[in-house]
Amino acid sequence: MKTWQMLKTHPELWERYFIREKVLTAIRRFFLDRKFHEVETPYLTGSLPPESYLDIFETTLLDRNRKSMRAYLPTSPEPFIKKLLVAGIGNCFAIPKSFRNTEDKSCTHNPEFTILEWYRVNADYSDIMADCEELVLFINAYLQRSQKPPSAVSLKPTELTYQGKRVDISTPWERLTVSEACMKYAKIDLGATLTRSSIAEIAKKKGYQVDENDSWEELFHLIFLNEVEPNLGRGKPTIIYDYPVQLAALARTKSGDPRFAERFEFYIEGLELGDAYSELTDAQEQLQRFREEEAERKRLGKTEHPVDMDFIDALKVGMPPAGGIAVGVDRLIMLFADTTDIADTLFFPMRDLFDA
Amino acid sequence: MSTISTADFTKGMFIEFKGEPHLIVEFQHVNPGKGSAFVRTRLKSLKTGKVQEFTYKSGESVVEVPVATREMQYLYKEGNSYLFMDNFSYEQFNLPALLLGDYVNYLKPNDTYQILINGDEAVGVRFPKKVRLLVTEADEGAKGNTVSGATKTVMVETGAMVTVPLFIKQGDTIAIDPETGSYLERA
Repeated sequence: MKTWQMLKTHPELWERYFIREKVLTAIRRFFLDRKFHEVETPYLTGSLPPESYLDIFETTLLDRNRKSMRAYLPTSPEPFIKKLLVAGIGNCFAIPKSFRNTEDKSCTHNPEFTILEWYRVNADYSDIMADCEELVLFINAYLQRSQKPPSAVSLKPTELTYQGKRVDISTPWERLTVSEACMKYAKIDLGATLTRSSIAEIAKKKGYQVDENDSWEELFHLIFLNEVEPNLGRGKPTIIYDYPVQLAALARTKSGDPRFAERFEFYIEGLELGDAYSELTDAQEQLQRFREEEAERKRLGKTEHPVDMDFIDALKVGMPPAGGIAVGVDRLIMLFADTTDIADTLFFPMRDLFDA
Repeated sequence: MSTISTADFTKGMFIEFKGEPHLIVEFQHVNPGKGSAFVRTRLKSLKTGKVQEFTYKSGESVVEVPVATREMQYLYKEGNSYLFMDNFSYEQFNLPALLLGDYVNYLKPNDTYQILINGDEAVGVRFPKKVRLLVTEADEGAKGNTVSGATKTVMVETGAMVTVPLFIKQGDTIAIDPETGSYLERA
């Protein structure tokens, strides 16, 4: 049954679908109150920053003489916003659709999805952590005020329920470094596990299937996803920060310890909601990483595309130090709508649009 | 026994996990931040009924547990399990409630179902996508739930309660999605 048909026969479902408009309203109010500019970024572009692990959407742009040019749907608004930061816009945010291919068969992915990115200038990832805490509290309070009739369970403005669990979202949230979390939940010393051979040995000992061509990153995630991630954000949101540099291609490395970078993610009840960095502003370093990502894309047989060199040019002019984050708005809506399937938050989920 | 890849996973498939047969209750692909893909599964043990999560590397090889499908008539409930009879050999099989899950709400005695057999044990059922059930109790005068719109709750022949539009009456046959228990249409 299509979603519109379901709404026709089950009008009680409208309330859940209207959570989206309320969350979007609350997000805009939150940032406009803080004097952030809302910017629009394109859905059609001729070049992209190369990201080795993403599959992209490609289409064709025709001029009046029907001469064709390759065009792409952006995987995030990041390069556009950063150019505006260089131009001097200051603190700003965007809530565009973004597009990532080969992301079907998942309750937390839709090939087109709504992404919220915001950037604070002369700031770093710790300022963004504080924004996350305040934003989630703000949306929750806004939803509670707008709820008709009031919820049967009495909740404080700093509480929400998700899948029958009560979550305390009051500040400060739990903060764990990736190393602390690995020690706490998987009993591994990450500092001593940063080479491929050391992590392979541990994974084998733990009983995982280890293949010769598994990379460090794959083996890390195998352990992280099975033993660490399921524990994050339970009863209280968790901010997990300071990732090994292998996992933070766009982040600034930590000044005291170059093995780790200033990246964090935050989780609420197992939902991974946002990915933040102290942004890399060094043009040379960025170009170097672009080249590596490009080579990796070639090796993996991913669609080739022109690289956004305008972005490198912008960084050469000088980007102010900034903290920035990408938040999956659809997942945030899943949290507040108390559902485990992203399709439950969309009037037109993929399965309604494409016959399987 | 045959070896498959995570790319072959389907819901309802049986695989070996830690040496024991398990049912894939659910699976989804996850892409953690940077890098390769993983497949997060919810696996139900056929021995204990316990459900647990495990995340595989995308492409990892897994042993598939072979199952055969046989047409069987549902007879009756016996303690915590459900008794089925093979339509051809008249052999009887017990299917524990925990392997049937929510489908128990829509089982009709004497109806034929596709029962899954591993060795000589019943391990599951391929339930139809749509079941037709008679409405046995419906409040005619119901004003419905005024908050959420024009719906009410009725009882169907198997004893399950279903949320339906107000125009459904006692004696109607309705179609239900047994996966979700939701009303589809008047049949």
